[in-house]
Amino acid sequence: MSVLSQLNIIQVKGLNKTVSTFEGDLDILSDINFTVKSGESVAVVGTSGSGKSTLLSLLAGLDTGSAGEVFLDGEALHKLDEEERARLRAQKVGFVFQSFMLVQSLTALENVMLPAELAGDQSAKAQAMSLLEKVGLSHRIGHYPSQLSGGEQQRVAIARAFIGSPKILFADEPSANLDSKNGHLIEKLLFDLNKQNGTTLILVTHDEALAKQCDRIIHIEGGQLEKIRDGEGAKAYVV
Amino acid sequence: MWFKLALTLFWRELRRGELTIIFAAIALAVLTVFSLSSVTERIRLNIEQKSADFIAADRRLASNHPIDQAFLEEAHNVGLNTAQQMFFDSMLFANDELVLGSIKAVSQGYPLRGQVTLKDDFVASEYEVQSVPQLGEVWLSEGLFYSLGLSVGDEVEIGAGVFRATKILVSEPDAPFFSLAGNKRVLLNYDDIATTQAVQPGSRVFYRMLFAGSEQALTDYYGWLKPQLRENQNWQGIKDRQSPLGENLARSESFLLLAGLFGIMLAAVAMAVSAKRYCERQYDPVAMMKTLGGSRRTIRNIFLLHLSLVTLFSLMIGLIIGFALQSFATDYLANFMNAQLPQAGFKPWALAISIGVVCALMFSLKPLLDLFDIPPLRVLRRNLGDKLAISKVHMGLSIFTIFSLMWLFSGELKTTVFLFGGTAVLMAVLFGLSRLFFSAGRKLGLSPGSSWSLAIATLQKRANANAVQLISFALAIKLMLFLFVLKNDLISDWQMQVPENAPNAFLININESKVADIESFFAENNIIHEDIFPIFRGRANGLNGETFARRTSKQEGEEQDEEAREGVGRELNLTWMSELPSSNEIVKGEWFSTDSTELEVSVSKGLAERVGIKVGDTVTYLVNERTFDAKVTSIRSVDWGSLKPNFVMIFNPVVAGKFPVTYFTAAKFAEEDAKSISELLKANPTMSMIDIKSQLEQAQSMIAQVSLAISFVLAIVLTSGALVLISQVQASLAERMQEIVILRTLGARGRLIKLATLYEFLLLGALAGFVAALVSDVTLLIIQRELFDVEGKLHPYIWALGPFSGAAFVAAIGYFMVSSTMRQNTQGLLRKLA
Repeated sequence: MSVLSQLNIIQVKGLNKTVSTFEGDLDILSDINFTVKSGESVAVVGTSGSGKSTLLSLLAGLDTGSAGEVFLDGEALHKLDEEERARLRAQKVGFVFQSFMLVQSLTALENVMLPAELAGDQSAKAQAMSLLEKVGLSHRIGHYPSQLSGGEQQRVAIARAFIGSPKILFADEPSANLDSKNGHLIEKLLFDLNKQNGTTLILVTHDEALAKQCDRIIHIEGGQLEKIRDGEGAKAYVV
Repeated sequence: MWFKLALTLFWRELRRGELTIIFAAIALAVLTVFSLSSVTERIRLNIEQKSADFIAADRRLASNHPIDQAFLEEAHNVGLNTAQQMFFDSMLFANDELVLGSIKAVSQGYPLRGQVTLKDDFVASEYEVQSVPQLGEVWLSEGLFYSLGLSVGDEVEIGAGVFRATKILVSEPDAPFFSLAGNKRVLLNYDDIATTQAVQPGSRVFYRMLFAGSEQALTDYYGWLKPQLRENQNWQGIKDRQSPLGENLARSESFLLLAGLFGIMLAAVAMAVSAKRYCERQYDPVAMMKTLGGSRRTIRNIFLLHLSLVTLFSLMIGLIIGFALQSFATDYLANFMNAQLPQAGFKPWALAISIGVVCALMFSLKPLLDLFDIPPLRVLRRNLGDKLAISKVHMGLSIFTIFSLMWLFSGELKTTVFLFGGTAVLMAVLFGLSRLFFSAGRKLGLSPGSSWSLAIATLQKRANANAVQLISFALAIKLMLFLFVLKNDLISDWQMQVPENAPNAFLININESKVADIESFFAENNIIHEDIFPIFRGRANGLNGETFARRTSKQEGEEQDEEAREGVGRELNLTWMSELPSSNEIVKGEWFSTDSTELEVSVSKGLAERVGIKVGDTVTYLVNERTFDAKVTSIRSVDWGSLKPNFVMIFNPVVAGKFPVTYFTAAKFAEEDAKSISELLKANPTMSMIDIKSQLEQAQSMIAQVSLAISFVLAIVLTSGALVLISQVQASLAERMQEIVILRTLGARGRLIKLATLYEFLLLGALAGFVAALVSDVTLLIIQRELFDVEGKLHPYIWALGPFSGAAFVAAIGYFMVSSTMRQNTQGLLRKLA
């Protein structure tokens, strides 16, 4: 693996996503090209229906593109099958979603442990306890999602995202379902943990203020990459 | 690691109630099948045992020739109990009186099934024994004591032997239900046959060998015996159709099997609803696990382990509850019957376990397999994978499974097709009606804020989901109505067969000169009786110039009929009548016209079908060495279960005066008539009386058992129906919560929401009940005619009962299930929804 590929943790080349509809083929994404460096935080912004969530799903290997290439930490996602992509996600990727996506029948602690348990990690519990402490929920480990507030549920989801020390964190509108106070708390927590762990953050949002906190901002409109600009957190990278 | 995670998820799901419904559905199927099959099996075995009493064995071999003793040895070799019988007529002599008696010589061991009823004196009480007369002793029927002027303990000569008449023979289990041998019956020890010297070469003797043992041994033995049977040797079981008992046994088997199908169908509905609901609830967790890197194999292992554990626990619980239920029911029945019901064996266990596993696999596995296909992308696109909720393969598998289970359980394709077809028609009609109903609701012009309007709007909004619910409700109500009507109709039909005033004795061999005396006797003593019929014996020898072929051996279970055997080649009881008997109905041709001068005959439907007799045919008869022809002018259906005197062939009155006849009637005697009956018998020494009281009592006790069994089945089906409804309402709770939140947000008051919910269930239940009544009645009509061979009729009361009971049932359960949700505050509901 080259030094360049180590630094470019995500490489997207000529990525297209086309879906079939009753009215014919519809291009969701067209000819997307960009790279993301390791440790960088990148916001993907755009209006509703612009294709930003589709882009996130392709970058995370939740879906496959119609054409083009996606490299995730040097591995060609477009050449992997679903099982191999799942293995890659288990090893290198964490997620935070708008709707929290906690398993209702598991406690806060068990939800955080879940990715590590699926990967067969024996230290899942210790890691989970430590992360819950970091997100300020060590007193709520035995509570079920329905017993937690929205903000608390999202903190559990963030703790879950960081278990196993993923290299890349994908966050889809992480504060959109929360009030502004809780939203800001979550955003701060996300960025703090990201910095502490040196994780690459890909953040999908329509919140311009939140996007500005990232190093770079990718604008998607009508399925096309409109522009890439630096955010307030931008910093120099040595290539 | 996946195993620990799977177990954690499993226990949580159970506690949260996610898996409880599917667990309950399998347990319900298992307990229903186990308790039903166990109780019905035990009752069936009991009925069979009781029926076996009527032939004093499980099987018997009847023959006009001496039966090869090797048959007996082989029976012993395969572990069967045996006894032998020989029938012949011989003169009995005592006190200068000479009477022709009908001798039944029986070997040690007789009766293999049932009891012989005896009296020690004319006024003594009856008691039962399972033994034969000692050597040198005979047991005589009461009529013989009168005819010969004997007292109990006196000596009587039979042929060349002298015997002591030690007991009055009241009845034997295999006494002919009706026979002209009358009450001149003698029970003799088999080893005393030689003493009588009455059986000589050329004597008219009839032989029987009796067998009892396990079904397997009997089947094996018949396999060995069948190729060796000679002409006029008949292998007979308990299902000969001409006896009213055999007919009732066949009917009760059909009915109980039908009842068993209902439990299966309800369990299938519960399973399908639960499986769909369970899988829908697992979409997000599965998508999340895949997103977090869970492999397909790990996810598959987790959920297959859940299914296995649910199946295992539900099997255990279902069997435990089923066992308790059947024990309770059979104890009750045993107390009622004052008898021990035989154990059911392994069959109900095997059936319940296999059906539990089949239900789990066929109704849950496919949705689970679909669940594994949920894409991880669902975490971003929430509706992705919802189309998997209705899988054509799952639906097809469910339909196939229900049909196969129905077939397996009924063992009759025809029954299965009728029931399945009825249900399919119900579904189609329901879909059509629900569409009509929902569209009609829009045109009612109700105020948009009223509870009724809201209820109809709710029904319209979830048209497809409601149509499915409506079908399920209607199915449950249909099954209940179905059972209710079958129970009422069949039981009343059976009870009508043994009405309050059913005759309990036959009077035969009445001399023509005594007919008037007998009629006077009946009138003086207010005895209820049937008409007095003339009788003469004869054979039907040929049809349209061709001689009838004799039927030979038959295996039990094959289509067989006593009529065919006795009606062709053996002597029949023949009579003439000018009026059609009340328990008969003309199905082809016409009853005799009064001005006909030709000899005409009316033939029973059963005999006509089996022998191939049609209206217009000519049957040749042999009576008193005279041959004559009669033209068939009608075919009659005969209700053999009526216990009234019935005849397979009836001539028109043109035959009167051509042959010597005796007369015959049936009457119901009360206990207090005993003395006058003795006087009547003494005054008419040629006349015989056959007491069928004990047969009637046994038949009535069987009817009581079947009636109780049906009540038990009805209770189980009602409970199953209620559980199905509960699972369905539970499946819609999340959506209801959402609706309540929206309505409250829009300012709807609690009363409005409560009334709207109540009306919604009332409407659903009433509509489902109405359609269930419609389809039930049509299906019942077909089943009554095609399967039970009885006159079909509509049941207007279920048209009222269906909608009312449906509305009450669905509203009570539905409202109760939703009431706690309606009581919860909006914040609590929102948190649950999140």
